[in-house]
Amino acid sequence: MEFWRQAGLNYVQFSRICARVVRKSLKPEVRTTALKRDEAHIRVVQWKDGQPIKPGAV
Amino acid sequence: MATLKALSMRLKAVTNIQKITKSMKMVSAAKYAKAERELRPARSYGMGVQTFFDRAEVKQKEEGNKRLIVAMTSDRGLCGAVHTNIGRQIKALVPELPAGTEFKLICIGDKSRAILGRIYPAEMLMHFVDIGKKVPVFGDASAIANEIINLDYEFDHAELYFNIFKSVISYNTTAVPIFSRKNIEEAEKFNLYDSIDENVIQCYNEFALSSLLFFAMKESAASEQSARMTAMDAASKNAGEFCCGEKMIEKLTLTYNRTRQAVITKELIEIISGAAAL
Repeated sequence: MEFWRQAGLNYVQFSRICARVVRKSLKPEVRTTALKRDEAHIRVVQWKDGQPIKPGAV
Repeated sequence: MATLKALSMRLKAVTNIQKITKSMKMVSAAKYAKAERELRPARSYGMGVQTFFDRAEVKQKEEGNKRLIVAMTSDRGLCGAVHTNIGRQIKALVPELPAGTEFKLICIGDKSRAILGRIYPAEMLMHFVDIGKKVPVFGDASAIANEIINLDYEFDHAELYFNIFKSVISYNTTAVPIFSRKNIEEAEKFNLYDSIDENVIQCYNEFALSSLLFFAMKESAASEQSARMTAMDAASKNAGEFCCGEKMIEKLTLTYNRTRQAVITKELIEIISGAAAL
């Protein structure tokens, strides 16, 4: 088992952190455009018993 | 005959709506061009994943009685039947499910939540909002994938419904299966792949899910923008051109001018006959 999975991460989260690190270490002229691709705008709303409950950030 | 004021108000309203739909068409044309440009590289994500599943002959068991349905739409309307088609397919699927099947829904975008959340409130697991305001990025897809991976609902059979972009005027509403790790391990040709352990499969499957979602998001964004462009084009045409066999704005202008003249004539007659009676 990988160390990050033991820490409770899954591959999606792990690779996202890796991607963020790579983007941050880019040369400054390409960094800003690359960092723009890192943002997620989406929000999740969980449902319980047929009712949406308070929205939370992803 | 309608009064002059009512006619002029209606004429103004129709012209304004035409202006709005025209500018909306321009906006969505620009957005569509961008979405289509970005779709091409994004397609390889979906194709790569699907080709692997095809080659390995990964299948889902049909008899699984716990299903998951993911509906991919967006928050924005005024784009023809793009979102309704997704809802319609799912609504058609649900009565076909064998008895005793349990199913759960995940709605991506406000529109599918509005369509499906009202009919199947008990089956809703979650919905996602703020889709379609900005161009979808991989981060959005991995956020959704993350939520699906962390679900505490063990499904046997999962499907993702989205619109696949074909051309400016057409899209296809399709469903692609979402495989679980068990599905991949039970695949017929799984043994052909060398030196993959459990961990690799789990990682790949998680990544495959987010790639598939990213691909579906891009496809549905492109079809939505193209459909909005077509819808807005039709709306401006209807206002400016043919409506009930006649051009609406022209017809209204003609009626307006006739009514105006009639009012002037009436006033003149009143003044003249009043003067004659003196």
